[in-house]
Amino acid sequence: MIALLIANSLALASLLIMLSSGLALIYGLRDVINFGHGAIYMLGAYLGYTIATVGGFWLALLLVPIMLALLGIAFEYLALRPLQRRSHIEVALVTLGLGIIVGQIIIYLYGGEARSVDAPKILSGSVTILHLSYPVYRLFLIVMGLGSCALLALWLRATPSGLYVRAVSQDPSVARMMGINADRLSLLVTSLSTAFAGIAGVLAGPYLSVDPGMDVVMIVNCLIIVVIGGTGSIGGAIVAALLFGFVQVAGSVFLPNLAALVPYILLMVVLLIAPGGIGRGRVLS
Amino acid sequence: MSNGTMTDDLHAPVTTTLTGPLPRRSLAIVAGLIGLGAGAVVPTYLASDFVLRLGSEGLLLGLLALSVAFLMNQAGLVALGAASVYGGAGYLFAIGMSDWGLTPTAALGVAFLILLGYVAMLGALIVRTNPLAFMMLTLAAGEMISHAVLLEGLRDYTGGADGLVVRINGTVLGIDAIHFADPAKFWSLAWTVAVLVGLALWGVGRSRLGAVLRAIRENEERMRFSGFNTFLPRLTGYVLVNLVAAIAGFLHVLNAGFVSPESLGLSVSTNTLVAALIGGISGSLGPIFGGLLFSFAQDEFGARGLTQLLTGVAIVVFIVVFPQGVVGGLSGLSRRLGWRREGS
Repeated sequence: MIALLIANSLALASLLIMLSSGLALIYGLRDVINFGHGAIYMLGAYLGYTIATVGGFWLALLLVPIMLALLGIAFEYLALRPLQRRSHIEVALVTLGLGIIVGQIIIYLYGGEARSVDAPKILSGSVTILHLSYPVYRLFLIVMGLGSCALLALWLRATPSGLYVRAVSQDPSVARMMGINADRLSLLVTSLSTAFAGIAGVLAGPYLSVDPGMDVVMIVNCLIIVVIGGTGSIGGAIVAALLFGFVQVAGSVFLPNLAALVPYILLMVVLLIAPGGIGRGRVLS
Repeated sequence: MSNGTMTDDLHAPVTTTLTGPLPRRSLAIVAGLIGLGAGAVVPTYLASDFVLRLGSEGLLLGLLALSVAFLMNQAGLVALGAASVYGGAGYLFAIGMSDWGLTPTAALGVAFLILLGYVAMLGALIVRTNPLAFMMLTLAAGEMISHAVLLEGLRDYTGGADGLVVRINGTVLGIDAIHFADPAKFWSLAWTVAVLVGLALWGVGRSRLGAVLRAIRENEERMRFSGFNTFLPRLTGYVLVNLVAAIAGFLHVLNAGFVSPESLGLSVSTNTLVAALIGGISGSLGPIFGGLLFSFAQDEFGARGLTQLLTGVAIVVFIVVFPQGVVGGLSGLSRRLGWRREGS
């Protein structure tokens, strides 16, 4: 029972980690919260649905991140850079508007009903571990989530570009004085963040459903996670995503009547205790 | 803004900025009053019921936009949860009458007090955070309320996805309930309320509270360092604008006679934001004008299902290209052409 609970919350947290660490990365570099992140995730899910019906799930998992990374590059050049001198609130509002536009175009093209994606054969069904039967797809999700977590930490900790990202998010002006090209980093980080959102969207297909409201649900969850984790802290976001996943899953098991409100209660409690969130702020300090 | 001028600004008595000779000033005031009075009456003779209904909806959206714009302009905080108070007001009013057996006026009062408590508590939690986190948290709080009304356990009270039909018997604050459903009378009422609220917020913006809020917006740390409490003014501002949103919500439910989960939806909040951005967030005229414009534009494009798409486009266009909105842009233009005194 406990093991199932933890496994389920890890599966949910995997998706949330991919999305909220992307949000935190952009925030670290640009001081901008991308309110359109939910819409990018939704775009990933619908593109994944289309590609999966034509060429299969694995092709979708390969192509969608590449397509969305290109979108991220466009987003960086067409929105973030021209608006660099504007206030962060204004840029955040622009991303909100762009998110609404993307979401509405998707609804216009695909219609209002929910779609479902089948997991590939190798990932369907369930396995028995320690006398517990568990769906393979969720194990795959956990592996993907924890794997991307590890890769992200490795990148930030062990590579020069990761070091630069940490430096810029700690102190942009000093980092710039040291000769770090923040624009080039931002290009990398933005495309990485949208690509991760794309992976999360494709992965969400067989796990959750692909429906028109998914962008709002996910962006609200991610915003809660980012606030709980301490805005801009990737480590905080990862811990908060795990906490969020656990609370959500445990809430739906133990408090089915109130499950929809449990994440908000968590948010309020955290805000009451630590208004700045649980992380130490900024990226991976 | 240097520290010296800022504190001077705070301690100086509020000076009137209409510095023209006295007869000209009183003439302007009289003309303004006549214009505002005429706005309440004249359209009811000229416009059809349909146009009046659209106009009234626009005024209510304008009231909401006024609340969002005030907080944006004075405190630099963007609230994405206007809908939760707007729709919540309607729900509480309906529940007060049907489930708690209150008279309409008492239900109105109780609903108002509950909302006051809710926004004060929520505000105390969220105005301490930075403006970006504030924006995220208002969005989250709004979603929380719209999930809450759909809870299975509250279905008997809220009617779930169907919403509630609100039957009002007798009088509300001395006004017979039937009058609220009459398009012409409701237009006059909504117009009067919008004008009064607009004037009140304009006055608050020029008061000490407004000056302190703007100074906190510019640099919160410096204000704290200078010995100002930065928490209470922002909380007061947050509660104030939400009371305006509550007034809009009450007017809406009195007029429409039903409440639905849609009135709590995110789209209401984003529509409000767009109305504020269209009109321009500085001043009271812009948001109300923006609300009216949005309402008529929605009638034009809504049938084709384009409203939400255009909402998104409008947010981007007005922030990137016309950050001052229509009214702000026009008044900037008139200033440049020399029609208005510099600094007025």
